[in-house]
Amino acid sequence: MFEFLNPGKKKKGQLGLKIIIVGCGKVGITLVERLSREGHDITIIDQEGTVVTEIANLYDVMGIMGNGASYSVQMEAGIDEADLIIAVTESDELNLLCCTIARRVGHCAAIARVRTPDYNIESDYLRDKLDLAMIINPELEASREAARILLLPSALEVNSFAHGQAEMIKFQVPEGNIMHGKTVSGLRKELRSEVLICAIERDGEVHIPDGEFIIHENDILSFVATREDTIGFFDHIGFKTNRVKNTMIIGGGKAAYYLASQLIKMGIGVKIIEIDKARCEKLSILLPKAIIINGDGTDQDLLEEEGIEYAESFVPLTGIDEENILLTLYARQVSQAKVITKINRINFKDVISNLDLGSVLYPRYITSEAIIAYVRAKTNSTSNNIETLYHMFDHRVEAIEFHVAEESEITNVPLKDLKLKKDMLLCFISRNEKIIIPGGHDRILKGDTVMVVTRDTGFNDIRDILE
Amino acid sequence: MNSSIVRIIVGQVLKVEAALLLLPCMTALVYQERAGWYYLLTAAICLAVGFIFTLRKSKNDVFYLKEGCAATALSWIFLSIFGALPFYISGEIPSYIDALFETVSGFTTTGSSILSDVEVLSRTALFWRSFTHWVGGMGVLVFLLAIIPLSGGSNFNLMKAESPGPSVGKLVPKVAYTARILYTIYLGISILELVLLLLGGMTVYEALLTTFGTAGTGGFGFLNSSMASFSPYLQWVITIFMILFGVNFNAYYFILFKKAKKAFQMEEVRAYFLIILAAVAMITGDLVRTMDFSNALRTSAFQVGSIITTTGFSTADFNVWSQTSRTILVLLMFIGACAGSTGGGIKVSRILVLIKTMLKELNSFLHPKSIKKIKMDGKPIEHEVVRATNVFFCTYMMLFAISVLLISLEGHDLVTNFTAVAATFNNIGPGLELVGPAANFGFMNSFSKIVLIFDMLAGRLELFPLLILCHPVLWKEVISRKSKIVQSRNLDRKY
Repeated sequence: MFEFLNPGKKKKGQLGLKIIIVGCGKVGITLVERLSREGHDITIIDQEGTVVTEIANLYDVMGIMGNGASYSVQMEAGIDEADLIIAVTESDELNLLCCTIARRVGHCAAIARVRTPDYNIESDYLRDKLDLAMIINPELEASREAARILLLPSALEVNSFAHGQAEMIKFQVPEGNIMHGKTVSGLRKELRSEVLICAIERDGEVHIPDGEFIIHENDILSFVATREDTIGFFDHIGFKTNRVKNTMIIGGGKAAYYLASQLIKMGIGVKIIEIDKARCEKLSILLPKAIIINGDGTDQDLLEEEGIEYAESFVPLTGIDEENILLTLYARQVSQAKVITKINRINFKDVISNLDLGSVLYPRYITSEAIIAYVRAKTNSTSNNIETLYHMFDHRVEAIEFHVAEESEITNVPLKDLKLKKDMLLCFISRNEKIIIPGGHDRILKGDTVMVVTRDTGFNDIRDILE
Repeated sequence: MNSSIVRIIVGQVLKVEAALLLLPCMTALVYQERAGWYYLLTAAICLAVGFIFTLRKSKNDVFYLKEGCAATALSWIFLSIFGALPFYISGEIPSYIDALFETVSGFTTTGSSILSDVEVLSRTALFWRSFTHWVGGMGVLVFLLAIIPLSGGSNFNLMKAESPGPSVGKLVPKVAYTARILYTIYLGISILELVLLLLGGMTVYEALLTTFGTAGTGGFGFLNSSMASFSPYLQWVITIFMILFGVNFNAYYFILFKKAKKAFQMEEVRAYFLIILAAVAMITGDLVRTMDFSNALRTSAFQVGSIITTTGFSTADFNVWSQTSRTILVLLMFIGACAGSTGGGIKVSRILVLIKTMLKELNSFLHPKSIKKIKMDGKPIEHEVVRATNVFFCTYMMLFAISVLLISLEGHDLVTNFTAVAATFNNIGPGLELVGPAANFGFMNSFSKIVLIFDMLAGRLELFPLLILCHPVLWKEVISRKSKIVQSRNLDRKY
């Protein structure tokens, strides 16, 4: 009788998910705002009573005051009926504990925010052993985004998969390019890098190409590759990426570390200015190839001495937004550098967008984007095996990431022996943090993550790829 | 202030009222009474006005506590103004102030009447009079929240402004579901009572009207003798249901969703039943000297239930009881029902908080440096709630004193003035002496009636939503709106 009152027993697509958010910091509030607008049932847990009351008054959510890692508090929040728990408190350990307890008590998926680099190296191991749906690291995501801006032209559309290890990049083939007139398989032989072209739009039609497909000028290509291979691919076809050769980073926090290590991997010179001596020493151990300067990055003389005028890119990553903004404005004035501004906390978006700040990064939006993509995938499907879902080319093509949780008729079989659907492409297999662009002899194993691009919609399980 | 969203909510409420007015029309159809046309006419007026109010869309749907309070207070005022029309147009209550008094008394679930002879009214009018109780009991905005998906996240502020109690919690994350759960419980218990009354031999019409009066803890009778002429069985049914509707609805939610243990642990509900037991025992002891025990028990239980839940039905003229019993009843008037129920008064939970605050203060005289948090249901109460409760009590007392003073200008005796205000302010109905259960409020002059109308609304909406409406700053904001911030907000949304 009370079924219609109880959103817990949901029928597909009818009602939102039941989501518990632990921790109401910057990311927490952003998530509440976005997810409640999408119609999910949200319960928030925080230690601070005033924060909880304030959010519960502002948004259509229920608030509970208490320690999110405690069993009784989770029970009060209805963990036994929840679909998803997202732990985004200040402390990594608390987040992991929250999710671990939630996994034991309820049947919900769990997402934890983990920021410390120590854990980050092991994030896949943690995710697997603690049985979490996702581990998010805002600093890492933000620095990935920053690296993308520095490395790839902004005209490209980029979506990331497999927790950022593979990217799907969309670009238009320039006129007179060497790719014109080549088949997809021919191109692949020619390139040594692992790049998979997964969708081509021509004259308003979207094709999922096979090996015989011939590429033309002005086609809009979507391809999947790792970051390194993308750069190699663009170099090979002679596509101008305008990437920078050196960069200057102010502040040596976690985000700076993540950004620097990615840039160094791409062969870009990195200079970090950090005020704390001990941190400098640690960074110099972690990043042997980077130049670490111990000094106050907000000191104009020091910046000039270190040659801000000649820097090709400049990324202030101090913990204080106002400082970051001032530094960017200064760099704009004295140099030609590509600049990126990271805004952690402050809101005044209208004001910020009127300033000449180059590319502006909001880590909390990047983080919440990733979580929301997951939640959408979960809402759209009844299975728990979909990790991300993107609509491309105006919903005509779906890119879906499946987690292969158990053995089935598709595992351990060479791909060439599987009867796959037409208009569908296996883009990559992610195994033990490695991206495999599959050929006919590759197999899908239990525990892999597989990305599929398809023109059919409504894939719920990896087995749907079979005829 | 975002006045356009307030306008739209009031418009929606009027549309709901138009729909509700169709029910008395159906009654008129059943009994072939001409009065139905007046209700149809009023429904049309409500619909038209509601339509005009909602014609222009709101620029933004940002919604803060002040908008919630203003929308609630204005909705109730408009609801009453239009609800009074059929009584006036049909000529059944010739004075508009009287008609308004009767309607406000209905919607606020007070049950005070200006009519000396209710039996001459048409059945349609009686039906509408009692039906306003049922609508007002759980609140028309809660109903609105349950059926209409209001955009904007913060419509919790609406519910907060309308629901009784010191701290309003949600049962489930979404306001709409919470509202739906509350109305389902409300409807469910109402139907149960209706069935039990029908089994006791009431006609459908009588049973419906009695149920409306009990469920909303209103108390409009449809006989001049109120409930005295009904059988002991029916009186017991009404007693039990009056008391049930005075219980915090959260308790029912817990019972329904298999957390019954939590329901029985609610301090407020336990205190509520203890108070009822104590009061019934004392009054029965008092009454048993003049009548046999079963009669005394039934009469005292009925009267205690009726007064503490602020219903106001009567089976006996308690005006002629001993001073002890009369005093107990007057005290019960102030205590009122549980928070989160349909009843009025100060509310048991507030009394508990006040008592605990007092004990804490006493303790701090013994140990000046001691730190002690006030707890309720085993959880510490936030300082804000304690503060709000204290301020509520002060404001309550001040308004009460001012109202008694204003009524006394008319020159009646103190007990009449005092209980007239107590009965309306706490949404009970009958008071003592001249306004006792056998009498009515018709003899008062228009000024006193307007004061009492204000008291009824203030009591039902728990003072502050109505008081905030009188605050000059709110009106200044309406007149000089700054549109710049609205624009930037909209931009923000698009982003």
